[in-house]
Amino acid sequence: MGSKEIDMSEVSLAKRTLEEIHQAGFEKAVCQVSKDELHELQAESGEINLFRTNFETDIRLSGIADQRRASLGVNKTDEVTIGQAIRDLKLMAEGANQDPAFDISGSQPAEVFTTGPEDPDYDLMYDRIKEVQDYARGKYPTLNLRSVGITFFKRRTCFVNSNKVQFESTRSQYRVSLSFSAKDGLDTSSMMYTEYTRHNLDEPLKDAVNVDTLFRQSTEQVRTRHLPNKFVGDLVIAPTCLPSFLGFMTARLGDGPMISGTSIYKDKAGEMVKSNLLTVHSCPVSEDICSGYWITGDGYKAENLTIVENGKLNSYLLGQYGANKTGLPRAINGGGCYIVDPGHDTFEDLIGQVDEGVLINRFSGGRPSDRGDFSGVAKNSYYIKDGKVQFPIKETTVSGNMDDLLKNIRSISSERINSGSSVYPWIRVSGVTAS
Amino acid sequence: MQIADIDLRRYSNHFSSYTELRVQENTSQQIMLLNGDVVSNTRDISGGVCSRVFDQGAWGFSSDANVSNDSIESTITAATRNAAFLAKRCGKPEATLPRAQTEASSDFRTEQPKKSQEEIIAFLKSCDEYVVESCPEIVSRQIGLSSLDMEKLLYTSEGSFGHNVNTRTLMSMKLTTRNDADEPVELSEGFGNRGQFEDVFPNMDEFKEKVDLLYEHLMNKRDAVKPVSGYHDVILASDLAGILAHEAIGHTTEGDIVRAGSVAADYIGQVVASDLVTLVDFANTYEGQTLPVPVYMDDEGVECKDSVIIDKGVLKSFMHNKDSARYFDMELTGNARAFSYTDEPLVRMRNTAILPGKDRFEDMVASIDDGYLLMRWTNGQADSTSEFMFGVQMGYEIKNGKLGRAISDTTISGIAFDMLKEITMLSDEMTWNCAGMCGKKQPMPVGMGGPAVKTKIFIGGE
Repeated sequence: MGSKEIDMSEVSLAKRTLEEIHQAGFEKAVCQVSKDELHELQAESGEINLFRTNFETDIRLSGIADQRRASLGVNKTDEVTIGQAIRDLKLMAEGANQDPAFDISGSQPAEVFTTGPEDPDYDLMYDRIKEVQDYARGKYPTLNLRSVGITFFKRRTCFVNSNKVQFESTRSQYRVSLSFSAKDGLDTSSMMYTEYTRHNLDEPLKDAVNVDTLFRQSTEQVRTRHLPNKFVGDLVIAPTCLPSFLGFMTARLGDGPMISGTSIYKDKAGEMVKSNLLTVHSCPVSEDICSGYWITGDGYKAENLTIVENGKLNSYLLGQYGANKTGLPRAINGGGCYIVDPGHDTFEDLIGQVDEGVLINRFSGGRPSDRGDFSGVAKNSYYIKDGKVQFPIKETTVSGNMDDLLKNIRSISSERINSGSSVYPWIRVSGVTAS
Repeated sequence: MQIADIDLRRYSNHFSSYTELRVQENTSQQIMLLNGDVVSNTRDISGGVCSRVFDQGAWGFSSDANVSNDSIESTITAATRNAAFLAKRCGKPEATLPRAQTEASSDFRTEQPKKSQEEIIAFLKSCDEYVVESCPEIVSRQIGLSSLDMEKLLYTSEGSFGHNVNTRTLMSMKLTTRNDADEPVELSEGFGNRGQFEDVFPNMDEFKEKVDLLYEHLMNKRDAVKPVSGYHDVILASDLAGILAHEAIGHTTEGDIVRAGSVAADYIGQVVASDLVTLVDFANTYEGQTLPVPVYMDDEGVECKDSVIIDKGVLKSFMHNKDSARYFDMELTGNARAFSYTDEPLVRMRNTAILPGKDRFEDMVASIDDGYLLMRWTNGQADSTSEFMFGVQMGYEIKNGKLGRAISDTTISGIAFDMLKEITMLSDEMTWNCAGMCGKKQPMPVGMGGPAVKTKIFIGGE
């Protein structure tokens, strides 16, 4: 067994470890200590059958010596483990190549951040699961609530670096996840899932996000039909599905594609890259976002950022290394926590505007090429004709170009879904092939 | 103290009902070179102790990163308390689990002297230099190395005991060029095997062979044509057959998915595929060869057996953990696996494969007048309805029995149990892929294998 664990605060442990990294010969050093608690209740196939409690420690060490960088993670706090980790870190860095672009965050005022409840409420977690099971059983007899999970997750973190940066944070939240399908005789609907985070469980699960709508749709989708014909038409993208399409752009604004020069958004800052109806923010410190963050992976205090404003590319999502490699500005946060501005039409308006199209709730697609060409299956989705939702569809492929897709936005709904980690509306785009 | 030296049996006096006690450590490493620069150089060591307790149909689980006498005892106590919390509210006193008792030991760590970080990075640098020298049309290149060692020590209240160390090391590469329209065109590949770096990559031979082939395909892909959307006669290369076996069929026959409403529940004993098709989830060995992810005892202390899912076209059985075997009153198969010490065992595949047939690959190509050869998947998803989708990043037209122009990225989709019935030829050679990382709630290394498959499939596109 390991040597005795050190019982000290995250701050003391992080500072002491930082000093040891420095003493090992690193000119620049970073240490982040996290202590996590996880309390989870889980139900499968209608039975609440697992209660889990996990306690985890995580220590991330990073150092730069002679412009050579290495990072290492361990989950033990004893002297032997940490001492060995620092020796390994030195060996890893000595084997790496020199790169003047490696750096750590500069000096910033120390801050302490806190949000979320102190402790989990086990009885309420249990009652909320039981309540949604009873509701689904009563209102949607063909629905199979395959799994429901409520997790209380709490993380205390201390981030320090050798530029005297010190951030402490405590964040806790409830994560709720549901997956379900429906079965009626031999007919089965496709599996659907949703998840969200909240600071409390005041709201019954059935009333959160669009759970009840998804339940109803799942029962409708046991009997699906083929599209009547292949067509080029509209796609009404549901909030549950929007990350599949927005993700193409955000992934190509980051370090890898920008450094390698393969991003199609290279040299496009300040230009119109999307429809002027689209405004996308990354808001890790917004009050609307439950699962945000205060500190970027590089060790900077995070700020909210508008990436695309009325179609114009305002900012890349470059970290410190990517910024140093490309000579472009570092983004003021690390991306994620996306909020898309609402439009002026209702969801019903969007459907009413469609001559022929697909309401897509889930997209199962191949990885798009760097050019953005994509094709994939529209799952849990519906055929729209003459402004009305007609029937749930099966084996339907949609294809187009990811880059063009968000240039061809025709309308955005005023209603939005807040999952705790994003706030998304429904978006209607044109020019998509469905077959 | 080493994990293998911990005496877990001494804690049996803390067991009050069916209990698993597991000490586990995962060590992973990632090095990534982007255009020759080491942009990622990380290692992660994560381990601890966990316990899972069954009480009147309910499970309690607890874990702690610290592994000490006190933490082991408190972990068992917490898991027992958690199970009691549920048992009090929704327990089923009549619920009992199928019993199992076995012992197993395996260790796939290298016996060679370990290479230093400097030596491993130097190896990757040499690989990168080889790409620069031999692939002149490349505008961007990524070369990565990742490894995962999983060491598990398990003891159960039924007396099962095992110490098993699984290892695997993978390389990845992504090459990008530009076509005549100055658009990026890319191809990627992952390869490797069971074992640690010293055993899997003793030299650059395999890398050179892979990169030469990848570059040849990429040059062809620069002039790729879009495939025609619709149903086509196709040959799925063996890597696609492997992921088909895993994603589209395998998942629908996992006991917990079957219980949750998989369409396979209605097909047991029925013809679900061409009689050419036999599909097996192998525990550890095939034709005398140790497979990519060998599992001898699962994380519920059950001896691992091969699960014959489809035998000559007939759906024969499902894969189980103790919970699903109890529910279906079927035999245990040893498919319960957990990724981390913080995870409970789930029904997971091990090495899933369609067995080879008797056809020569050349004859399969020659048998198609108008169709496609599809190879190199990027990602895949499947549904409990057996509807699947795979991304395909490389392929060729087949015209009049001959390979033609390369095709651009596409997706293939369909209903697996329909598509299996359309299989008319299977090649006489099969390959195994060690690079699979299944994502069912927890990540999990898996092996996948198969021959080339001739069938009909829907190809997406405009």
